[in-house]
Amino acid sequence: MLVAWRFRQRENSFIQWFDPRAWIRFYLCFLVSTLAFWDVRFLLPFFFISIFVLATSGVKWFEMKRAFLFIVGFVFFFAILTFLTGRGGTEVYKTEHLIRQLKAPFAILGWTPTLDITVERAFFGVSQFVRVFSIAIMTILIPYSLNPALYGITFKGLGLPDNIAYAMDLTMRFIPTFGRDFQLTMDAQRARGYELEKINGGLIEQVRKLGPLMVPVTIHAIIGSEDIIDAMDLRAFGVGPRTWLDQLTYHRRDYILTAIGVLILLASLAAGFWGLGAFWVPPALIKMFGG
Amino acid sequence: MDKKLTNVLISLVVVLAIFGIIMFVLGTQTIGPLNFQVDQATLVLRFVFVVLGLLIAFAVYWFTRENAAWEVGTREVVWMAIGAALYAVFSWLFNGTVFVVPSLSQVSLRPAIAIPMFFGYAFGPVVGFFSGAVGNIFGDALTGFGLSPQWSIGNGLVGFIAGMALLFKDKKKSMDTVLWISGVLAVLTVVLFFMNRDTTNGMYFAATEPVSLFAGLTILIGFVIVLAVRFGFAKNEDVAAAVTWGMLGNIIGILFASLSDIFINGFSLVAAVVGEFLPAAGPNLIFAAILVPLFVGAYAAVRKQSGR
Repeated sequence: MLVAWRFRQRENSFIQWFDPRAWIRFYLCFLVSTLAFWDVRFLLPFFFISIFVLATSGVKWFEMKRAFLFIVGFVFFFAILTFLTGRGGTEVYKTEHLIRQLKAPFAILGWTPTLDITVERAFFGVSQFVRVFSIAIMTILIPYSLNPALYGITFKGLGLPDNIAYAMDLTMRFIPTFGRDFQLTMDAQRARGYELEKINGGLIEQVRKLGPLMVPVTIHAIIGSEDIIDAMDLRAFGVGPRTWLDQLTYHRRDYILTAIGVLILLASLAAGFWGLGAFWVPPALIKMFGG
Repeated sequence: MDKKLTNVLISLVVVLAIFGIIMFVLGTQTIGPLNFQVDQATLVLRFVFVVLGLLIAFAVYWFTRENAAWEVGTREVVWMAIGAALYAVFSWLFNGTVFVVPSLSQVSLRPAIAIPMFFGYAFGPVVGFFSGAVGNIFGDALTGFGLSPQWSIGNGLVGFIAGMALLFKDKKKSMDTVLWISGVLAVLTVVLFFMNRDTTNGMYFAATEPVSLFAGLTILIGFVIVLAVRFGFAKNEDVAAAVTWGMLGNIIGILFASLSDIFINGFSLVAAVVGEFLPAAGPNLIFAAILVPLFVGAYAAVRKQSGR
């Protein structure tokens, strides 16, 4: 049985006001444009766009609470990690201005854990959070707002061949189903005494422990696929050009949205071409800490 | 010229044109965070390698174009979707539980890599490529990582190459050749690791600490396990071939993604291989060597039972 994303038609939803093809195009332009910047001043407009879209999406808090908290928690965790370590930052800045150095009062095999808090690390952490948060919010809203019945025709409308469009359609439909299957399998194995968390045995034993979770879910999916294949074959899938039950129609607002997306993308690329949008730290802060 | 061949040729020319523009037009520039700079002294040589790579891809297609492995019918469409969805779900679950590897870039321990390898080997290169590439896109999107197209292509290549096993009639001979090629590549990367022990991992409180000896050697540990599976399951060719081809897919796919970061993130060759490739590909190989045989065994049992 297929489990669906929590889609429903919502009143006054900004996303659902547009044709899904136009929204996907806008989303892709947004995504590439956001990735073109590390300067938090350039990233803030994208952050505000994502907040606006979230606030006007019509998706209720109780519907998306779990997924939202998971993703935001994950993004926050990585931003903190970046702040603490400067991880990845060395790709975009070369010098660091120390705010404070914290040293552990103990040593591990001669190594004393030391934490350098620098202006650059702090700002890189903030930039990373704003950047990834904006993308994550825009991404998470898609399954809540896009009608599953329109997945196939949307991908077809974006120029993909029938086979690939239908495979994309099925992929999006299967994801929540397999997520549910995984949870059921995990519960069933736990009821039989399975303990993933138990740290004993060597490396091979640890990896082998994943088998009782991954193998049943995969094999069950493959066995279940026979019914879907039969159903598709009976409807002569792939024999001729595919027709779709639902049809999509562009409106003026969809052309405007697509144009805005393309403009944002071109402006972002042009800004990058002129050297704008690279990692930025307020000069006053650098001066304050010995720059 | 038939339509299928024309499409393949057009695709290759488009890829070549993209490389040409990046290397010759943007080859001296840094645009925002995108570093397109290419060593101008070796530019022509590098471009020759791109052409060579595409010619090899075309040759593989040309000499095997009649092979059933390239067909995409109803079954393949459904398997593509199942493989991609499973890879996305497992990636999301295991990325989410954050087994992060000390490495130069965003690398997690990913047992899910066994999925594109298994789907590629069991259902063909097209299914493998779709499972790896699209599954990685959805997995990253679900986790909140954003998208890294070159890593998605790299993951696609893992499944694609695993599926190339179907193109060879002599399974045993092709498997042994693949074993040798993989072994040589693994040893070369480990030699590079030992020649550059000071490459930092950029991780946790030890951002300036070098990539650990264990991370540098995991690819060899994985290779030894694959070797054990290859000869331990000598009578079960399917298990041995799936693991062996999966290993080559893992090495080439992840190497492709890591090397692309030389152009995209401005890494040096050493940083890309030692700091990124080894911490990603090594653990992948260990997961593959243990999990892929479980999938192949379970699938064989199901086929036997259902008669399909």
